[in-house]
Amino acid sequence: MDHQAPEAPLLQLDRLNSYYGPVQVHFDLSLSVPAGQIVCLLGGNASGKSTTMKAILGLTRPHSGTVRFAGQPITGLPTPEIVRRGISSVPEARRLFPAMTVQENLLMGAYIRSDARAIGQDLDRVLERFPRLRERLRQRAGTLSGGEQQMVAMARALMGRPRLICMDEPTMGLSPLFVERVLDLIQEINRDGVSVFMVEQNASLALRIAHFAYVLQSGLIVLSGPPGRMLSDARIRDAYLGGEPGL
Amino acid sequence: MMINQLAFGPWLDYTVNGLIIGNIYALLAVGLALIFGVANLINFAHGSVYTVGAYLGWASITYLHTPLPVTLVIVITGSALLGVAIERVGLRALHGSSRIAPLLATIGISLVLDQLVQLFCSPDPRALASQLPDLRIQIGRGTIGTLDLLIAGVGLVSATGLYGFLRYTKLGWAVRATAQDQDAARQMGVDTDRVNVTVFAIASALGGVSGLLVGMYYNSIDPNMSFDATLKGVVAMMIGGLGNVPGALGGGLLLGLTESYGIALFGSSYRNLFAFALLILILVAAPNGLFGRRRDLPPEPMTGTFIARSRPLRLPRALVAGVVLAAALLPLLPAPYLLQTLTTALLSALLALSLTLVAGTVGQISLGHAALLAIGGYASGLLALDCGLPFVWSVPLAGVITALLGTLLVFPALRMQGHYVSIATLGIGEIVTLVILNWTGLTQGAMGLTGIPAPAIGGIELTSVRSVYWLVLVLVVAIALLQTRLLSGHLGRTWRAIREDEVAARSYGVAANRYKALAFGFGAFGAGVGGAITAHLYSYIDYRTFDTTLSILALTMVILGGLGNVAGAVLGSVLLVSLPELFRAAAEYRMLAYGLVLLVLIRYRPQGLLGTV
Repeated sequence: MDHQAPEAPLLQLDRLNSYYGPVQVHFDLSLSVPAGQIVCLLGGNASGKSTTMKAILGLTRPHSGTVRFAGQPITGLPTPEIVRRGISSVPEARRLFPAMTVQENLLMGAYIRSDARAIGQDLDRVLERFPRLRERLRQRAGTLSGGEQQMVAMARALMGRPRLICMDEPTMGLSPLFVERVLDLIQEINRDGVSVFMVEQNASLALRIAHFAYVLQSGLIVLSGPPGRMLSDARIRDAYLGGEPGL
Repeated sequence: MMINQLAFGPWLDYTVNGLIIGNIYALLAVGLALIFGVANLINFAHGSVYTVGAYLGWASITYLHTPLPVTLVIVITGSALLGVAIERVGLRALHGSSRIAPLLATIGISLVLDQLVQLFCSPDPRALASQLPDLRIQIGRGTIGTLDLLIAGVGLVSATGLYGFLRYTKLGWAVRATAQDQDAARQMGVDTDRVNVTVFAIASALGGVSGLLVGMYYNSIDPNMSFDATLKGVVAMMIGGLGNVPGALGGGLLLGLTESYGIALFGSSYRNLFAFALLILILVAAPNGLFGRRRDLPPEPMTGTFIARSRPLRLPRALVAGVVLAAALLPLLPAPYLLQTLTTALLSALLALSLTLVAGTVGQISLGHAALLAIGGYASGLLALDCGLPFVWSVPLAGVITALLGTLLVFPALRMQGHYVSIATLGIGEIVTLVILNWTGLTQGAMGLTGIPAPAIGGIELTSVRSVYWLVLVLVVAIALLQTRLLSGHLGRTWRAIREDEVAARSYGVAANRYKALAFGFGAFGAGVGGAITAHLYSYIDYRTFDTTLSILALTMVILGGLGNVAGAVLGSVLLVSLPELFRAAAEYRMLAYGLVLLVLIRYRPQGLLGTV
């Protein structure tokens, strides 16, 4: 199986073993995100998807194995340091700062930066991409609709000028219209040169935009490959893409 | 008289006074709210920082003859550094343990700091003169002094400064973001450890300054002012809503005014009663505070008790029986001092057994448990003195009265969880003390009860140390056996289920409040009997005999033995009461030792010696 993409990857997880309390979540998990690509990690509930995200961001420390970013090991580094090296995140359920305004949330995304002028320019750029947010700048983030909150979360992640954005279920709980918009935005962001690592439960959506995908089941990568091959594989359709039952 | 007091001039004075004291409460409450926001912790060491601040100011004025601005700078810097030390040394290691653990640690820190102040500066009050010219401005028929203006000024400057910091500085943003979502803040690159330290520094600086100002205002400071300050700050914060910084400001002023008007109408001994009545009212009626935003705070954000999972040590029956037998035979040795000490220890074991049931088995960390002793002691004392009831009747009756009254009093706390239970029980405990102090007609008020008859059974007075020891030993063994029996049956299972997951227990049809009430009732009976016997032994009790220090000590005993562990409660009491007695030289270091024991336990052995059950 081709776990490794050919060129030197931007992010690389090498034989990660993680535990949640006494329960092992990952078993020798290896995957990589090549620079400039959108890579998806698919899997159902309790497959270990979110823990993968946390391990990358340093929110949990793996028992063994290494996480490498841009060639450097980042395993065990504190989260703020990892963020400073160029990894932003769109957390599960968005996790905005509900009592802060949209503008404050966006500027929090640039917390690691100190170039005030460039931050101002980036804010303008981000607002051009998310025009909806311009009207909401002074509104408390907690009062926005789910779709708008997702926009803020993505815009906030961009404000850090990351090389990689990690997204945890970016389409969860959104109306179909917003789902389309979010998928478009992810592709736009990616075209601007930001690599994307996304964790998704909804495989058919994720495979539409991904360059490469992994399927995680009970902490093991059971399949990987480009989406075309995945979509044409009957087994995968049945098991992970909501294929016809009983076929 | 009333009409006279209602005249305009004095009322202006009362208002000014209320606002000034309210300003101090606000300074304390804002610090507590900031800390609660980022650390999810009610900092019980806050009052100690306030005391240290006052003493720093006193020392710098007395020894260095500093002028006011320099004194302020010294107090601010010193208190801020103390805050940093508290966070770094005492609390940081507890990240990730259950949420009540750091709260208990701050109680330990508070004991240590207070005792240190006492050791270095003597326990007696000191005068702390205001360094300001004594000018008073006449306004209508009231007056405002320079110190009033200084306090108002400090309040205003702090509030504005804090607003500016939170609103316009990067670190201030980080503080707000961390308060709202710590994980998300870290994912933005915020160093939340640094945020925590910063907040402790700011909060402690505010606390220290308010200590200095209060000292000047009353021209007196003493090492025992910590606890009161913490309580007032907590009450003010709860009025504004847990962790709500602007709310804390309003809560402080409101509390100050309530107290001031209350004093005007009813006299100063009622002062704290108003504060705590207000606290209970807020906890019951508006747990999100009066100024709580409509944002959906979960009504009980602070669930999670201090139960470290562990396998309790299985004590072989033969060993327990052997220890009991040895204890029963001990009076045959000619060691009256040892017996006396052990009697005291066993009496506290009655309290510890009660607390280990409530705090350990049912998971309701009560911080006002000593109030049950007070109720039992007063009940039995009054029954003996006023109704001439003999010891054998007054003591069990006192137990029943304590069970009923205790359960009734704690009723408002039954539907609360986590930190709220602790704060409510603390408030209820204080209310009991204050009612005893103020209900002079029944309790003789501050005079206390004198001439409570010595224990006697069948007309024979138990005068010997030996007989009293045996009596208490029999009681402890009986209650311990009964409690063990209850815990191994249906009742014990249900109690533990409520502790583990109250929502789940309720969804299986468990009437959780009734079971909690049952635990409080059973526990209160034992504690009441303990208080009653203590009263008859001492022959004199007053409202301070069973104070909050004893509640905290009981909690330390229980944690030392292992929460919920019956044998552990007895062991913890015997160790904590008798060890300091045996090393008599260390008597003045006792609270220091208790504080350190609490800190070490929480950090290194939260399951206690015998393990939690």
